[in-house]
Amino acid sequence: MKKIKYMMSGGLAFSEQQDMEKLRKKSLKGWHVKDFKFMGYGLEYGEKEDVIYSIDYRFLDENEREEYLDFFSAAGWRHVCSEADMHLFKAAPNTAPIYSDKDSKIEKHHRQGKVINGMALGLLAFTIALFFVSIFTTGTFQTVAKISFFGVFVFTVPAIMTAMAIYYQKWKIKLKEAK
Amino acid sequence: MKQIEQLTDSVFYIMAALTTPRHGYAVMNLIEETTKGTVSIGPASMYTIIKKLLQQEFIYLYDDSDSRRKTYLLTEKGREVLTEDIERRKVMIQLAENGLKEEQS
Repeated sequence: MKKIKYMMSGGLAFSEQQDMEKLRKKSLKGWHVKDFKFMGYGLEYGEKEDVIYSIDYRFLDENEREEYLDFFSAAGWRHVCSEADMHLFKAAPNTAPIYSDKDSKIEKHHRQGKVINGMALGLLAFTIALFFVSIFTTGTFQTVAKISFFGVFVFTVPAIMTAMAIYYQKWKIKLKEAK
Repeated sequence: MKQIEQLTDSVFYIMAALTTPRHGYAVMNLIEETTKGTVSIGPASMYTIIKKLLQQEFIYLYDDSDSRRKTYLLTEKGREVLTEDIERRKVMIQLAENGLKEEQS
């Protein structure tokens, strides 16, 4: 029987690099990523292997997929798994990085941020709307608005934090180059 | 997607390679060979740049009969942009070369 375990992600927007490092350490001990799981990775036990991991974000049409993956395999990066717009790859430790220039690296985070930015904005607008509804109404209506406000607020905060973290990543790359 | 204003080195190399129809893998190889391995373009960067060049109509899909190895070629617009950038780069090189020559004499 195959041994399988779960590893939680630190949140890719916050700690992509740390996640990739952690996955490498797991592989050194024989635990290899098999697929993405809810807020983490599914690991499967096998032979110990020294590999580095890299993640990319891109929505692919069915007719783009083969070419995209071929680019990576040609450069020595093996495809591990994909989920929605996330694609995980692994390679031998000295393989050249999947991003070689600043511009395209910034665009990676731009694509990564697209979905969450929309979500964060929508949630923020909704939270503000509920806030005003709860102020300007009375009775049952107000109670419902108040409860909904807190209900939505719980999602708005992490969404905004994630969007900000991605924004911060983009800035970090831009500043690094400026030095 | 942001527009390409000035060609970065990576974009320049890729466009230079696409003066003849080539697929992405061949472009990566050609660049690595010509520069003796000093320049290598990562697959994710390569894919991003190809998409951007297509979107800006600097290149076009030349042949997609093999979906794994689609080939691309510069458009007329792409040729113009590349030619302009060669001129820009020539000025840079000339300035440096002249400077070095004067220093010696």
